[in-house]
Amino acid sequence: MLDKAPLGVSTIRLTVNGEAVTVSADPFASLANTLRDELGLTGTKIGCDAGDCGACTIRVDGEQACACLVSTGQAEGADIETVEGPGPDGLTEKLRKAFLAHGAAQCGICTPGMLMAATDHLARNPATSRAEIEDALGGVLCRCTGYLKIVDAILDVAGGSVLETPRAEGGNAVGARIARVDGWPKVAGTDLFGADDAPADALWMRVVRSPHARATFTLGDLDAVVAATPGLETILTHKDVPGENSFGIFPHTRDQPVFAEGHARFRGEAIVALVGTKEAVYGLSDTDLPIAWTVEPPVTGVGEARIDGAHVVHSGKPDNVLASGRVKCGDVEGARPTAAVIAEGRFETGFVEHAYIEPEAGFAVPVGDRMEITCCTQAPYMDIDETARVLGVEKSQVRIRPSACGGGFGGKLDVSVQPLLAVAARVMGKPVRIVYTRTESMSSSPKRHPAQVWARSSADGEGRLVSFELDGDFNTGAYASWGPTVAGRVPVHGMGPYKVPNVLTEARAIYTNETPAGAFRGFGIPQAAIAHETLLDDLAEKLKMDRWQIRRINALGNGDTTPSGQTLHASAGLPECLDALKPDWEAALQRVAEFNARSDGRKRRGVGIGCMWYGCGNTSVANPSTMRITLKQDGTLTFFNGAVDIGQGSTTVLLQMAADGLGLAPDQFDMVIGDTDLTFDAGKTSASRQTYVSGNASRLAGEDLRAKILKLANAGEDARLSLDGGTLTIADGQASRTIDLATLEADGEGIVLDGIGTWDPPATALDENGQGSPYGTYGFAAQTAEVEVDMRLGTVKVIDIVAAHDVGRAINPTLTEGQIHGGIAQGLGLALMEEYLPGRTENLHDYLIPTVGDIPPIKTYLIEDAEPTGPYGAKGVGEPALIATPPAILGAIRHATGVTVRQVPVLPHRLWESLNGESGS
Amino acid sequence: MKPARFEYVAAKTVAEAIDARSSFDDTVILAGGQSLIPMLNYRVAQPDAVIDINRVPGLDTISVDNGAVRVGALVRHRQLELSAEAFAAHPLLREALDNVAHIPIRNRGTICGSIAHADAAAEMPAVLVCLDGFVTAQGSGGERNVPASDLFLFHMTTTLDSDEIITSATFPALPKGSGYAFEELTRRHGDYAVAGICAVITPGPDGNCASASLSACGIAEKPVRLSAVEAALVGTNLSDDAVSAAAALVDDMVTNEDDGAGGRYRRQVARTLITRAVAKACQRAAQGRA
Ligand SMILES: Cc1cc2nc3c(=O)[nH]c(=O)nc-3n(C[C@H](O)[C@H](O)[C@H](O)COP(=O)(O)OP(=O)(O)OC[C@H]3O[C@@H](n4cnc5c(N)ncnc54)[C@H](O)[C@@H]3O)c2cc1C
Ligand code: FES
Ligand code: FES
Repeated sequence: MLDKAPLGVSTIRLTVNGEAVTVSADPFASLANTLRDELGLTGTKIGCDAGDCGACTIRVDGEQACACLVSTGQAEGADIETVEGPGPDGLTEKLRKAFLAHGAAQCGICTPGMLMAATDHLARNPATSRAEIEDALGGVLCRCTGYLKIVDAILDVAGGSVLETPRAEGGNAVGARIARVDGWPKVAGTDLFGADDAPADALWMRVVRSPHARATFTLGDLDAVVAATPGLETILTHKDVPGENSFGIFPHTRDQPVFAEGHARFRGEAIVALVGTKEAVYGLSDTDLPIAWTVEPPVTGVGEARIDGAHVVHSGKPDNVLASGRVKCGDVEGARPTAAVIAEGRFETGFVEHAYIEPEAGFAVPVGDRMEITCCTQAPYMDIDETARVLGVEKSQVRIRPSACGGGFGGKLDVSVQPLLAVAARVMGKPVRIVYTRTESMSSSPKRHPAQVWARSSADGEGRLVSFELDGDFNTGAYASWGPTVAGRVPVHGMGPYKVPNVLTEARAIYTNETPAGAFRGFGIPQAAIAHETLLDDLAEKLKMDRWQIRRINALGNGDTTPSGQTLHASAGLPECLDALKPDWEAALQRVAEFNARSDGRKRRGVGIGCMWYGCGNTSVANPSTMRITLKQDGTLTFFNGAVDIGQGSTTVLLQMAADGLGLAPDQFDMVIGDTDLTFDAGKTSASRQTYVSGNASRLAGEDLRAKILKLANAGEDARLSLDGGTLTIADGQASRTIDLATLEADGEGIVLDGIGTWDPPATALDENGQGSPYGTYGFAAQTAEVEVDMRLGTVKVIDIVAAHDVGRAINPTLTEGQIHGGIAQGLGLALMEEYLPGRTENLHDYLIPTVGDIPPIKTYLIEDAEPTGPYGAKGVGEPALIATPPAILGAIRHATGVTVRQVPVLPHRLWESLNGESGS
Repeated sequence: MKPARFEYVAAKTVAEAIDARSSFDDTVILAGGQSLIPMLNYRVAQPDAVIDINRVPGLDTISVDNGAVRVGALVRHRQLELSAEAFAAHPLLREALDNVAHIPIRNRGTICGSIAHADAAAEMPAVLVCLDGFVTAQGSGGERNVPASDLFLFHMTTTLDSDEIITSATFPALPKGSGYAFEELTRRHGDYAVAGICAVITPGPDGNCASASLSACGIAEKPVRLSAVEAALVGTNLSDDAVSAAAALVDDMVTNEDDGAGGRYRRQVARTLITRAVAKACQRAAQGRA
């Protein structure tokens, strides 16, 4: 392979967005690469390079196509339209506005592909329908939105009635459905994601990963490979790591090496990395490298990990138990015998992949003796800690500049490319870039923990819960990642959002030789929710009680005390959520009964219900955020916001809260987002904490600046502010004062006034029985799902979902609904189709996530039971949306078929086997 | 990953393409590229040369003759799907094509490419098998027609010679008075089939089954004709019981055990799809809307 001639380069003529262009490219380079690399049109995204994701959708001669599956040579003479163009008759332009207005772009990585598929469809079918749109968008995956708002936006354009987005005034921004303030670049295709930008002279990096789940290895003469490979600069190994060769989440669990040292613990682990020209690092195959492997039997699954004599994955943990947690209250053993009914079961879930459409990517630039890293991330300040350790330098020597982030969902909380890039750029003394392939992203990034859960629940004759027990083993894979958090969160939430006097819940995170499992929307709670909700259905069945009723009776409400001993003084809105969807529940029950009465038995329908709760913010630890707003002499108002927006909308909602704190309109602000040199630490974008925690900091920053202004103007609290250039006007009743900002004393940067807000949620440590107040507030939700089951094929189609969420206050209802839709889509995937199997489902055609056709209509109720400690009453919604969906779907399947499924995903063959009384495979 | 290195040949005539095929050891044809390019990107295929036939004139025509439809090597899935003339003559083709991938893939992928690619789960090879169709191939030895029954060897392999190129595929007409159906199960719409059934049923004047033609994709290592099922259907009154009994004979033909149920589930799927496809075909025959 090394001796083959370099690829031929041809001159290829194309018309791109109406302009004739000539490119010199390898005729077999994909059009996606040519557009991006040769023409700088990075609006066309690459999510898989295999036709599976549609992020690269463009139009070729007036027809939608995957640019990753068109060779440049094939496109000679073709008319190419990309997201950067206006589209036929400005159709793409119209769609952009509609997407913005509907909140149809969240992270925005799928948006170019969606816009082009929609453009293509409307260009030929102006009078379209929902079903036709779903057909046209079937090849484009979105992991954030649940698709509904995308289809709504396209229908709007087809109908000629584009929704106007409101402009919020100062003081009424909170609650307004303003368009995402960072939305335009996403719909214009100009937002720069991790792979979209790098210095022209950056070297490329490619990581060689372990093909074995457990193996020792020795490296042969790598220098000889470098010498024999033109363009290859170096091959990095663990010896090149200047500081500690390890990273992780918690100080005591930094157990993952940047490069393995002679021993690989999972398939996908980084072994060495090639650095050089793009041709060189991609031209070489892994098998061209002198790596001698000795394969050893891996520990697969928590069962194997816990038997006596099991291989010890990390020497410090002889029983392979990384961490455990528990909650104990009351007297389970004493109380259970007094119960009228008892239900018990074992539940099993698999690895789930985040499947963000943007694979990890970024670049590092050594600047003097500092290192600057631009990449997609959910946690820039944690990235600094890890990168500095790996480089062996002070934290101040590292700067993280988050790129736009094409989805995260927890999977970009851990470092991925950051330490690799830092080491490479340090060794080379030059900029280095990296772009993971889809397979690499899937095989190396942390997953949702597979869980083996046993649980037992009991209730009295009226359906009131008497006791709840849960014991769960969570497969944390080869490295700790967020395993301790999962082990801690599950016991606290494991009984569900109910009043239970006697509880014993325990969870462990267990090491194996599988892909590390870390943070994924819900931190283990979705797995536990399947157990507690199924058992609640069991109890209802035994008591011949309605499933809604048993939840309503037990629902935690204001004034109730949780099994952790925390009294919820306010904003415990589950009863309200349940009440909101009661009419829908009853209507669905009736609809389903009528359908089944008419059915010949081949298809049956059912409806199910699930509830959840979720503590917002990090468990029992300080997790403060700080925000800053500055006002300059020339009237420039800037919001310095260190929270990265991974699509969920923090940039917009935090601005809305800051704007109302100050009393000026959101569109008067400039923004500086998440650059660790410029912004304060706003913590991680995780644990549904940004709206709640950083929201308070934003509000306080706004209020701080407002207080300073009012003091300067000697004005009362109700004064109205307006800012026009360098003139600030303060209207207080009849009186009005203007301040010429240029006359105020400024600092070196021209700043005359600033406001700073810091907030840390109230939370206390848990004792050994899990007693304490681990979170400042909790989100609650109740959802129903209606399904149709094909009894002969075992297939399940979700046909309706109703979701009632207590969000405290919806700062931006459009974005809140978007979070709920997206969470439901992921919950649907978890319930019915998603199963990551290392080595087998490492791409997006074997690992299936829902497409537009899989998502049912979703009706949402936003319950606003204000959280007194939340900004304007708000709390988080990012994770809650997913958790209630799988149990609702499982309950619906059971209602339809009479079969209780305790393993997800409910693949058709599994359900069919259960329906036919066969033992599971 | 990126493709390994190979020669790229843009052929301008079929003869040039055949020439190029003979002058390298291991060649592939680039038609729509919708299967080939991902295989090259992920190095599942590492040929010496890729021969692009997209500039060869005359290969992109659909011709309809007495109900039979012939598609040239560059006719795209979507082109055939949307062809009003082909639909009027042979509606089964559209019904099957609707199950092939998504629109962007169908816009570029070709029917002949799908047949040459010979994925055991692909729809159009099964349709060709059901209809007793054939491909026309040209190689250094000249031109020949290869019937579907002789074409498919196993998953992703045909009996064509290494220098041959499929220039067209011919789907024979539906019999007079027949009804047709294509039924399949996928995990998601547009995915490759877990199993798919193509059925053409012709009831006689007495309403009994005069002839039946069925094929399946996804159940074995290649698209298969369900002869045992056909034989069991002919002469019956096509009642639910008769069809179920015939469908059960598919069990022996299901050799793909690539699901968690060790083949049992796929047998159930195949049986169910057969009963549904036959029922739909009978209904269409009855409506005289074949
Ligand atoms: C995401 C995705 C989903 C898909 N889903 C489906 C599906 O559900 N059902 C389905 O059937 N297909 C599916 N496909 C495949 C698609 O239909 C392809 O278009 C088709 O299989 C190959 O056609 P092509 O023209 O693209 O062939 P190419 O990719 O160009 O070639 C494929 C192979 O056929 C050979 N070949 C092509 N043309 C000729 C010829 N004229 N003579 C001799 N050899 C030739 C080539 O040498 C090559 O080995 C999917 C593809 C993708 C990317
Ligand atoms: S990048 Fe082309 S379809 Fe995924
Ligand atoms: S908005 Fe669609 S993938 Fe993020």
